[in-house]
Amino acid sequence: MAANYWASTQRRHWLFTRERLAEIREGLKEKDKVAHSQFPLPDQRLLNIYFSQQLGRLGKRMSTRQQALATAQVYIKRYYTKNEIRSTNPYLVLTTAFYLACKMEECPQHIRFVVGEARGLWPEFIAPDVSKIGECEFSLISEMHSQLIVHHPYRTLSDLQPELALTSDEVALAWSVINDHYLTDLPLLYPPHVIAVMAIIVAVVFKPSSQTSSYGHPAPIAGAMREGGMNFLAALSDKGGTGPPERIQKLIAWLAESEVDIKAVIECTQELVSLYEVWEQYSEKNCKELLGRMVKSKSLEK
Amino acid sequence: MAFSPLVAPSPSATALLKKGSATGQENESQLRHSSSDREITEQLNDEVRHKYIKAKKLGEGTYAVVFLGHLRADPSSFVAIKKIKVNAEYKDGLSMDAIREVKYLQELSHPNIIALHDVFSSKDQNLNLVLEYLPRGDLEMLIKDSNIHYGVADIKAWMGMLLRGVWFCHKNFVLHRDIKPNNLLIASDGEVKLADFGLARSFADPYLNMTHQVITRWYRPPELLYGARQYSGAVDIWSVAMVFAELLLRVPFVAGNSDLDQIARICEAFGTPTEDNWPGVSKLPNYIPADANHLIPGQSRDFFLRQFPTAGAVGADLLMSMCTLDPRKRSTAYQALRHSWWATEPRPTNKEDLPRKSGGTKKMGDDLTRRGGELDDQFKHAARQLDFSAMKA
Repeated sequence: MAANYWASTQRRHWLFTRERLAEIREGLKEKDKVAHSQFPLPDQRLLNIYFSQQLGRLGKRMSTRQQALATAQVYIKRYYTKNEIRSTNPYLVLTTAFYLACKMEECPQHIRFVVGEARGLWPEFIAPDVSKIGECEFSLISEMHSQLIVHHPYRTLSDLQPELALTSDEVALAWSVINDHYLTDLPLLYPPHVIAVMAIIVAVVFKPSSQTSSYGHPAPIAGAMREGGMNFLAALSDKGGTGPPERIQKLIAWLAESEVDIKAVIECTQELVSLYEVWEQYSEKNCKELLGRMVKSKSLEK
Repeated sequence: MAFSPLVAPSPSATALLKKGSATGQENESQLRHSSSDREITEQLNDEVRHKYIKAKKLGEGTYAVVFLGHLRADPSSFVAIKKIKVNAEYKDGLSMDAIREVKYLQELSHPNIIALHDVFSSKDQNLNLVLEYLPRGDLEMLIKDSNIHYGVADIKAWMGMLLRGVWFCHKNFVLHRDIKPNNLLIASDGEVKLADFGLARSFADPYLNMTHQVITRWYRPPELLYGARQYSGAVDIWSVAMVFAELLLRVPFVAGNSDLDQIARICEAFGTPTEDNWPGVSKLPNYIPADANHLIPGQSRDFFLRQFPTAGAVGADLLMSMCTLDPRKRSTAYQALRHSWWATEPRPTNKEDLPRKSGGTKKMGDDLTRRGGELDDQFKHAARQLDFSAMKA
């Protein structure tokens, strides 16, 4: 992380309201209704799960840092607020976002290496020509107006760990909740510290059986969060009474004193719950087929 | 730097780029030719591009060309447009230099850091950075010109501006890693601006390695010469101290002609680094054990005062605090700015009254096209070798 979030381009240019984001997407859809009816795609979040898994595969062989993968996911989101996904080759966008994010996060990989790996994974969709990535990189950078620094919630999490006396289990859980939030629109909707606080609350209050969620079976988390959420909301509104355990009371006291937007934190939590619910419908095969059909028929048109 | 013959534009490459995905392999992207949904952003980009008019070329280097430009709406408001070259950088992706420069200048806004007004892409897929126009050259030009006379009050003004810029970078967790007189450009009102962020990076997370191949040799601190892979803003402070010394002496203070020679000269000037004056130094990867019979003791305040009489006792003390061998004991930018030298007579010269020299526009063109880590043409022993393996954790 560099520079100051409050003065950052992320805060000034890449933070949207839900309404604005919906408007933008509606606008993209309006422009190409035919493609939309011709190529149905799964729920955005399911696609995001697919992208994130594919990125994970790409990053794995090169032992990339998590932060670069996170940055790549944000780049993809930003790019698709400017471009309709159906007019792109998502595999190329994904590979390029990865390549650019690695440079940005100071763990650069050679372009040939990246292309080689990507071709190994998706030979049908990635051309051997490295200049394709160069070209797409240029497009990514211009669409993002060269605003490339992304502030992530991970740093806030490590900063708050001593202050809130988080156990290593809680940190690990919060960390994977942060990983999961990249599957939603949250990075475009809320500042990173709100996300970090949300992840901490999920980890401390809901304690979804200490099982990490990433790409596993998210269902228990959704359930735990539904129940825990009620208790937590009750605790927030009910100042008297018996109240929740001391540990949670402490966290609530800290939250009350901090100036973190509690309403935003709760909205993030709800977003995450619905992610875990929609996750149950996820099918890698389905995403792959729909995307494959879309990209192939597009390239035939040319 | 002058024209480089190495990168004569290759027509085939350019043609290829322009062609986009209209023909060719079956799996080509539809990125550039995706019709209507690109309109909004293209319009935006066109609007930005239309705001400026490119006038004459100021300089050309291996990876960029710099033009003098101005606002279409106001011909008297000048800008410098730095166009990152396509053929040199593009086919293998944008270079780290260009990425770094854009990345940091987009976020850092401070009176002592060159301002990035806009970025736009031109039709041939070049990235254009619209930079603040700094017509009065750089500090190197003033140092070298024996017709220009300046005194300690002027130096105090320049150093104050430099340190404020560096402080701002560090406060925002950015290391500049190439501070030297010809990266310190001068605005028309005399303000000094830190430029060339081609080697800059954010502070690494704890225990992650960074490359030690940064900072032009004469301004490179001993910890980098010894191959330290984890370092702090102290590296920039050493460079600031070397600029300070150079402003006082009007020649580079420690000008080695190889990395080894640089270490030897630093030892001569400041004393031999040992476990006593710098705990842990012997563990650095490229540390060379000093000859026990030839240990140069650390220099005292008297040495600095003798070497730099113009600085005065307080100024010599500030200089000494910024070139302490042990980076942990070196002043930070914040500490340096709190030093009593600033409150000692003489007061820093008002920026409008600082010595000036003409011909700065051409110099700006040269400065903005040079790659980071390079000395001027005749000294090609550059720091620039950012190999990929060196950067991995």
